[in-house]
Amino acid sequence: MRKILTIMIVLLILMSSVAFAAGSKEAVDDGVIKIALVIPSTIDDMAWSQAMYNGIIAVQKEMGEDKVKVDISEMLWNAVDAGSAIMQYASEGYNLVIAHGAQYQSLLNDIAPDFPETTFAYGTGYSTDHPNIFAYDPFAQEGSYLLGMIAGMKTKSNIIGIVGPVESGDAIKFNKGFILGVKATNPEAVVRVAYTGSFGDLVAAGEIAKSQIAAGADILTGTAQQSVGAIRVAEGAGNVLWLSSDLDQSSLAPNTILVAQAYNFTKVVKEMIDSRSKGVLGGKHLPLTLENGMLQLVFNPQLDSELTAEMKAKIDTAKKQIIDGSLKIDIE
Amino acid sequence: MIQEFIVGIILGGIPLSVSLLLAGLGEMFTQRSGVFNLGVEGIMMLSAFIGFFVVYTIGSPFLGIIAAMAGGALMGLLMGLVSITFKASQGISGIGLFMFGWGLSGTLFRVYVGGVTTIKGINDIYIPVLSNIPIIGPILFSQNPLVYVAYLLVPVASWLLFKTSWGLKVRAVGTTPAAADTVGVSVVKIRYQSLVIGGVMAGLAGAYLSIAQAHLFADNITAGRGFIAVALVYFGRWKPAGIMGGALLFSMAHSFQRLIQVYGINFPYEIAVIIPYILVIVVLAFTWKSQSLGPLALGKPYDREFRG
Repeated sequence: MRKILTIMIVLLILMSSVAFAAGSKEAVDDGVIKIALVIPSTIDDMAWSQAMYNGIIAVQKEMGEDKVKVDISEMLWNAVDAGSAIMQYASEGYNLVIAHGAQYQSLLNDIAPDFPETTFAYGTGYSTDHPNIFAYDPFAQEGSYLLGMIAGMKTKSNIIGIVGPVESGDAIKFNKGFILGVKATNPEAVVRVAYTGSFGDLVAAGEIAKSQIAAGADILTGTAQQSVGAIRVAEGAGNVLWLSSDLDQSSLAPNTILVAQAYNFTKVVKEMIDSRSKGVLGGKHLPLTLENGMLQLVFNPQLDSELTAEMKAKIDTAKKQIIDGSLKIDIE
Repeated sequence: MIQEFIVGIILGGIPLSVSLLLAGLGEMFTQRSGVFNLGVEGIMMLSAFIGFFVVYTIGSPFLGIIAAMAGGALMGLLMGLVSITFKASQGISGIGLFMFGWGLSGTLFRVYVGGVTTIKGINDIYIPVLSNIPIIGPILFSQNPLVYVAYLLVPVASWLLFKTSWGLKVRAVGTTPAAADTVGVSVVKIRYQSLVIGGVMAGLAGAYLSIAQAHLFADNITAGRGFIAVALVYFGRWKPAGIMGGALLFSMAHSFQRLIQVYGINFPYEIAVIIPYILVIVVLAFTWKSQSLGPLALGKPYDREFRG
């Protein structure tokens, strides 16, 4: 029995290594761009992952489905699982492998040198250790500054709540910019920040939103996938406004979501493809800013009456000042 | 300010305690009968999905809860099949059940629903007049209907376990199954029944999460609450009142840590987040020896032929 088992295992190993060798072909230039996307949640999470997915699909639509092939692996929060998916994609000859999360940075640093013809990308991040890695980097503080200005002008209770995930890179940038924005239009207002300690615990995010509202907040904002849980609570409360991040979430709660800071990943993906066609496979830091249009404010048309012309003018002026550099958002 | 803060802690803590209390009470019966079901988390996830899905398609929260409880019962039976009939190790089969529930609920959600979808579900009720009383009004008279159900189940569970002959059989089977067997109590039957009750309660806890608390479903919606419920059974020394105390203590500690963040009290949030867990460990460590022992046969599959 044991012998048979051993033979079977050996055969299995042999077969899988043959399959792997057969699969590992170099990228062929047949005019088709093969994009692989590895994401921590799902393509319809109404947050970070969906923003990138929408961007890639928009590029595919624009360039033609016969020109761009897209493949996606979802729910790869765990870096080990993500690593094997990334390797697989690279060895199958994908041209552009996007690992959509800051946690994939060191993985790409390990994998990228073995596939010099493949372009890898990750974000949020700025360091590119190898010439075939792009690091995209949303300047969330720019958009959140504008959101903060809106919150400062709209609050009646002078209490604004942030439902945060984990106090780390992205959330800190967003929150600091937001608080500066609030102070710019309403120095009296208090911004209360509370973290769930998780990215995906929707129930906990909802509970924090409830506590924030009970403690007087009438404007709420927050980042990460979990924000959906908080939006649901804000909607239920009736008289609370939510300011979104990552992508336009207004379809979730059309009477509650006033505006979104949205990431235009279409431009990011296009820039990477363009750069590739010019022979530059990576090695660049790609900031998403208001200036380059990769960061946008998307207003919910249904709540247009909530913002007066004066408010809009103020936001516009600040936006222009951020773009021309006369307004610096210091989050250090 | 202080009063507002304390009311805030209680108001935030009560909704949080419900899923822990319900799942904990169910697990208490399971463990009292000698089966250690670590799969509560998986049952909660699957039931949260079933409940959500029924409300999403049919629109009736009542049917959603019934369906979630039925799903929980089936999961309890499955645990019974593996751990009682096939006598598999309870710890391992519980973990298997957890993974099964997680995978199945996530997959069904992806296939039949897709992305983020909210449902109407069950909203908090405001009892007229009474809910306007300062302090106790919002605490006692403006909660979700399932909150009242959960707390009413505490005396019911206590009565069932300590005052009925069925409860006596459960305790006998969990303490000395061989003795119970010799006097004609079917160990297998009682354990199956307890597992089904545990499953139904975990199912209700899951339904509460998706239908009443979050009004949506997401992968891993329970986020560890089922495992905490299992721990609370030890914490509460296998007694309904103790489990309620544990659920309240844990939830209030959680609510407290959230409020100190909300009010901007200068305290590192990373430490605040772990306060509830530290508290539970400390209380567990200091109350362990002073009280009664747990079900002696807990975790041991019963085998008639084996007189070990």
